[in-house]
Amino acid sequence: MHPNISFTEAIRDSTRLCMELDPTIFILGLGVSYQNGADGTTTGLKQQFPERVLDTPVSEAALTGAGVGAAVSGMRPIIHHGRVEFALFAIDQIVTQAAKWNYMFGGGNPVPIVFRIAVGRQWGNGPQHTQALYSLFGAVPGLKAVIPSSPAQAKGLLTSALRDKNPVVYLEPRWLYGTRENVPAGPYLADLSRARIVREGSDATVVAYGDGLVDAIKAGRYLSTMNISVEIIDLVSLQPMDHETIARSVQKTGRLLTVDTTHGCFCVGSEVTARLCQTHLHSLKAAPVSISCPNVPCPTSTALTEHFYPTRFDIAGGVQSMLGRPVAPTEPLSFEELHIAPKFDFSKDE
Amino acid sequence: MNKSDLLSGLRTMLLIRHLEQELVDYYLKNKVMSFVHFYVGQEAVAAGVCNSLKATDKAFGNHRSHGHYLAKGGNPLALVAELFGRKAGCCHGKGGSMHMIDRRVNFMGSTPILGSVTPIATGSALASKLAKTTDVTVAFFGDGASEEGAVYESVNFACLFKLPIIYVVENNLYSVISKLRDRRSENYDSQKIATGLGADYIKADGNDYVDVFTKASQARALAARGSPVVLECVVYRHMAHSAPIFDDKVGHREVDVLDERLKQCPIRKLKALLCSQGHSTAEELERMETSIIADCRGLIERASGLPYPPLADLLTEVYAS
Repeated sequence: MHPNISFTEAIRDSTRLCMELDPTIFILGLGVSYQNGADGTTTGLKQQFPERVLDTPVSEAALTGAGVGAAVSGMRPIIHHGRVEFALFAIDQIVTQAAKWNYMFGGGNPVPIVFRIAVGRQWGNGPQHTQALYSLFGAVPGLKAVIPSSPAQAKGLLTSALRDKNPVVYLEPRWLYGTRENVPAGPYLADLSRARIVREGSDATVVAYGDGLVDAIKAGRYLSTMNISVEIIDLVSLQPMDHETIARSVQKTGRLLTVDTTHGCFCVGSEVTARLCQTHLHSLKAAPVSISCPNVPCPTSTALTEHFYPTRFDIAGGVQSMLGRPVAPTEPLSFEELHIAPKFDFSKDE
Repeated sequence: MNKSDLLSGLRTMLLIRHLEQELVDYYLKNKVMSFVHFYVGQEAVAAGVCNSLKATDKAFGNHRSHGHYLAKGGNPLALVAELFGRKAGCCHGKGGSMHMIDRRVNFMGSTPILGSVTPIATGSALASKLAKTTDVTVAFFGDGASEEGAVYESVNFACLFKLPIIYVVENNLYSVISKLRDRRSENYDSQKIATGLGADYIKADGNDYVDVFTKASQARALAARGSPVVLECVVYRHMAHSAPIFDDKVGHREVDVLDERLKQCPIRKLKALLCSQGHSTAEELERMETSIIADCRGLIERASGLPYPPLADLLTEVYAS
């Protein structure tokens, strides 16, 4: 059975199934015990597991570090931060403690913990509520860092994270909470370290992740009406990064475009491009293209955010340029598509 | 306290003192290629607290944790090997002096980012509570660390969830060399902070083994009932913040000058107590000390001959498998 569920429901579904099977899993976070807790991803779990879903003081360092301490003591905590800006209060515990613990003690000291951190765009939330900081978490050996891009990925990756022995940073693009997909009802795993090819193609490789994937898929559909065939890769994991899958694709297509829904400086796409150029420069028929946000904080007014996040037409335009074609004129996007979180259903068409 | 408890405390303190002192020359000759923070002078805190614990109780330490590790029963050879960067070290050479661990005796790890240890220890206590065990967790940290927000957050967290934990503040008067009065207003009140957050506050003379042991035993009884305790031990750090050298020339010391430190030396005081109560003679204690020094030299000699980790180890254990 593959019910059509939302990204939010997929997270909750994975959490519930894992908690039913593994009594060491528990949840710490602000408001996680409430009916609409953690954006609805923990709804009902407090009733099912009263002692294992714990609301906490507004003390990010304490609750995150308590998770680390419980993990080194044999438990398997889920730490929830509703915004990455608040997780930064606890960055020492994630980056300096959890990520180093097994290595610095010479092995044999696993830290099985999942840091669920909501990131990224959301209308009206402005400079201090919409950061993603993907590259920060990707830059830390000892952490695994994954970005679910659809409901099925959200469920599979969280289930895998909750069976891993290592600290996993699970970066949830809140833009995707309302997306839908037909998702297997039972537990299943998704690979924490491998990129996946979402759509096969031959003219260019588009590497996207998280909330960039929806627009990459839409761009791919649009380009196909012009007989341009793109291969779309969902990067999935930042640490480790699956350079092999990208290189194999570029060997076939000869062109690379990366999509970041955050600033272009020190971004994930830069890392993808740098590595590809180091190892497969001669496979490239054109200079790689980076589609990303400008190097400014994210503003609040829709008049400005309209020009901040890349759209499907920006991605499609980049591909056309790489192919040496003139960029076809486009219609203006609707207010809804530009500013309202998508209800995209991954099970339709693609 | 009976004779055997006192002698056991003295033995622990002598091991901590002499193992470090025997390492001084090695450090000064670049044979210890690990940043070190010596514990000389503070031995009564580690020994007094750890001897009040049960074997199943857990302890976490900080950058200055040779003493905590040894007092909890950590393997001394693995400590020295770690300082020498050898494969047989407690972290197989990957951690060094600031990362003491011996989980066989429930010394759960030391981590040197000051207040960072308090949330982690709090999580250990939370795990014990969730697993319905009766273990108590101890976090060792200093007066400088206790000025960090994570500590306040942790004490509140522990009190909210009624966790079995003792926060041991080793107040040695300095953060590196910054004095308390340069860091705290004259109205600063550790007791009010602890009790205001809902914890019990107990103050001990960290230069006195009997006082620390007695107060730590009270603290353990409270913690075991789910009543978190802040146990502040005021103590003298005899050496510099890091590196095994004396720093009196810096001129920052006011109360804890050399004469006062020697007068308050916890080892000297405990020996005097054992003799004055007729438990031991000076000769017996000297024989004990001589034997411990010989053991320490033997350990250091053995550790110096142990192999280094192979190059392949550089890339292993980033992730647990």
